[in-house]
Amino acid sequence: MSESAASMGSSPNTASRTAVAAVDRVRRSLAGIVWARALLMGVITATAVLLLGKLVLLAGAPRADLPLLRVSWLAAAAGTLVVGARRWRDGPIDQARAALWVEEQESQAFAVVTAVEPQRAEVLQLLEPRLRGVPWSAVTTDAARRALLFPAFGVILLIGLLAILPSHDSLLLAREAARSGQGVGRPTPAGPATVSVGAVAVLVRPPAYSGLPPRTERDPESVSVLAGSSVTLSGSTRGDLGAVDGTTNLPVNRDGDAWSVTLTMPERPVVARLTSSGEDRLVLLTPVIDSTPVVTLADAVRDTVLREAAGAIALAADARDDLGLVSGGFEYIVSSGEGELFTSRSDTVGRVALGGARRASLTATLQLDRLQLGPGDIVHVRAIARDGNILSGPGVGSSETRTIRIARPGEYDSLSVEGVPPSAGDTAALSQRMLLIQTERLERDRPRIPRDSLLARAGRISSDQTRLRKRVGELVYARLGDDVDGEHSHFPGDGHDHGAEGKLDPADILARASAATGSGEPVALDFHGDETPVVAMNKPLLEAYNHMWDATRALDIGEPAGAIPPMRLALAALQRARQAERIYLRGRPPRVVVDVSRARLQGKTQGEGSVRAPREATDPAAAARAQRLERALLRLGEGQRDAAMDSLTMLRADALSTNPPLAVALGAALQELRNGSDAAVELERARRLAAGALTSRSGLPRWGGLP
Amino acid sequence: MSEFVDATGRATGIDAATAARASYDGEFVFATAQYESGDWDSAPMVPANLIDSVARYTSIPVAPTGVIVPLSSRSLLRYPFAWLTGHLPVRFTDAERRNVRLWLERGGLLFVDDHNHDIDGIFHRTATEEIERTVGPLRDLPNDDVLYRAFFRFEDGPPTTSHELNGWGDNLVHEHLQVARLNGRPAVLYSSKDYSSEWGYHPDSKRFMSVDNTRFGVNLIVYALTR
Repeated sequence: MSESAASMGSSPNTASRTAVAAVDRVRRSLAGIVWARALLMGVITATAVLLLGKLVLLAGAPRADLPLLRVSWLAAAAGTLVVGARRWRDGPIDQARAALWVEEQESQAFAVVTAVEPQRAEVLQLLEPRLRGVPWSAVTTDAARRALLFPAFGVILLIGLLAILPSHDSLLLAREAARSGQGVGRPTPAGPATVSVGAVAVLVRPPAYSGLPPRTERDPESVSVLAGSSVTLSGSTRGDLGAVDGTTNLPVNRDGDAWSVTLTMPERPVVARLTSSGEDRLVLLTPVIDSTPVVTLADAVRDTVLREAAGAIALAADARDDLGLVSGGFEYIVSSGEGELFTSRSDTVGRVALGGARRASLTATLQLDRLQLGPGDIVHVRAIARDGNILSGPGVGSSETRTIRIARPGEYDSLSVEGVPPSAGDTAALSQRMLLIQTERLERDRPRIPRDSLLARAGRISSDQTRLRKRVGELVYARLGDDVDGEHSHFPGDGHDHGAEGKLDPADILARASAATGSGEPVALDFHGDETPVVAMNKPLLEAYNHMWDATRALDIGEPAGAIPPMRLALAALQRARQAERIYLRGRPPRVVVDVSRARLQGKTQGEGSVRAPREATDPAAAARAQRLERALLRLGEGQRDAAMDSLTMLRADALSTNPPLAVALGAALQELRNGSDAAVELERARRLAAGALTSRSGLPRWGGLP
Repeated sequence: MSEFVDATGRATGIDAATAARASYDGEFVFATAQYESGDWDSAPMVPANLIDSVARYTSIPVAPTGVIVPLSSRSLLRYPFAWLTGHLPVRFTDAERRNVRLWLERGGLLFVDDHNHDIDGIFHRTATEEIERTVGPLRDLPNDDVLYRAFFRFEDGPPTTSHELNGWGDNLVHEHLQVARLNGRPAVLYSSKDYSSEWGYHPDSKRFMSVDNTRFGVNLIVYALTR
């Protein structure tokens, strides 16, 4: 009442405005009460659904896998909407309805409806005392209490009941256990001395990212479980129960006779040993590892070399995963540089979200213009795909890599052609062509010229051919062993005595060249066979050499017609040699043959001086002296000074003729001893001299006793 | 036709007859790993240099020249040790990955050296990724490992290289080699130290050095042959 009185002003207009504002507040309060009641009814509905579900499970309904939580949410929404819709059907609460409602609640407030309508000042003045007495707050508070009290009480009651009942999971597990022969909380029929583990139910909840539903297995011996899953083993037994995995204890939760063990599946097998007083039970949990995606690049099909960095390259790939792919794309790296300086940059094109699909096709276009490629740059492209593994991953799968190289200037394809200057082989080939022309001309002239002229001209051509053949032979030898003179000094037809002369066999030449360089058999471990670069280059020259030999022989007997075919073959072989020389085989590093014997300082011959001989034995006489000196020193150490001095004296006497330096040293030592001084230095010198160097003497050593 | 190269000069595997002809004769043969994706031949002088060192310091029978072995070739199984280096991305083909895994399971030791000496470089990033994919994770090899006393003693672990000390590449002195183990046995040794540059000279040039810097290479080979 006081609130109402205070809110009323003194003027009629003020009273009217205040009444309108108060009615408006009431209207808003009523709307809030309506929606709060609707929400509470929704919660009641949801809680009732949950409660009903648990009761159904307890009663043993066949469908135990209903998603109760989801249903309860739907029920809450439905309850709220139903109650709200009923209120909406009655129409919105406007100012007139609110004022009317206030008048219904409070008999003294009959002027409220009139006050909120437009009135003249005199009327408002008459209404003012009535409005002062309206209990605005009290009516709304009472209304809220009446509307919300019972629904709130219902909510509290139902939630309490839910809390009292066992959880949904434990009900599920207990039901599984009950199905397999032992009910929750029921006493296990067992003998007086033993209590069995009972039936075991395994509930597997895969990690959320996998999208797999939970599943339950009854009394399994082994269960395949996705790594990272939550695994709950449960059952019921009256006795104690322990659980271990190897040597690790697993925590056991007990609730009366019911028990449960929960663990997270690792990436290794787990053997859960469940032990009660009367039984051991093993449950093997085998891990299923989430595999990484498998990606296959469909385009580009092969590596390539481009002359210019222009255009676009279509990329396509297929990806698949056991659980689901999250994203995919094409990753590329651009590497630039050579020698010791390389740089790189990388990026991704065609990145797409794959939304958990198990198979997907990836496509993209690589615009070479935008990559700012220079000569020699290499683009390495591969397709990648990621799965949704958030526990140990993500697993990233990748395809094979394709390389796209931009050619350097002067480079035509995968083979480099070096612009080398004309080699000596070119000169030889030119001369061979001239000799062939001369021979063909001689053959044409042969019917018209006398035999002597024919022989003279053929002899000149043969001489030139011989010089050319020698030049070719030098080339071959020079390449094989840097021994240019080797061929010259042993060249067939040079007038030297070589025994049986004739054409050279390629293998023979290689063997001789190898022998000349001392490198042993010309067998390269990494290039076996007859296709080593050296042989490939020299083989045409060797063929030309032999054909020239045939041509020379025919010319020497005045048969130019017989010389022409081998001369043509020789020319063709020289042409092949020229081509071979211009090809640089890429990816073939220089071959260095280590001279192992040289590295081990063994040389090519064994060497007499390096033979080690055993050291000769010590001079027997010197050894005896040394022993006598040792004995004397021993006596000296034992305090037999006089005896020691006698022995030293005897030894000195003997050494005077055989080892004078020792005698001198012993004399000095004896002098020190006689003086009572320290003779260590002299005795040490004497000991070193006692063994002595070998001495030569004429005649036999004297007989017996001490030498 | 050669047993290791085809008409294009590209290395291939060997046939059975060739394999029988070139069967193991007791010599250690230095193998350089050839892979599809990068410049596997970036350090051509290293094999000869290490062969020279093995001959110089040990009595191990050693072949005077090395071989180039494609990682996808079964001929890889003939060699206990393979040297892999380069500057460019290392991405094994499926065939290479399978064959390398088989070879490592049967006792091979792969030494991988980053010729870029740069842990931000593309070789390091791709090679380590490929090793982890093929074998498993790389871990630091302790500097008191038996590798460092397999022949010569290296009390401080892997010897530094001039490229590390002169601030090339990543400007770091790498304290450790890394190792990827297979069934508990070292299968891949990984180096960021750039021994490929350090040892990339003709063996005859050793006479100009006061201390032969390839001695650690002898340890690598003895380790591969005796572990």
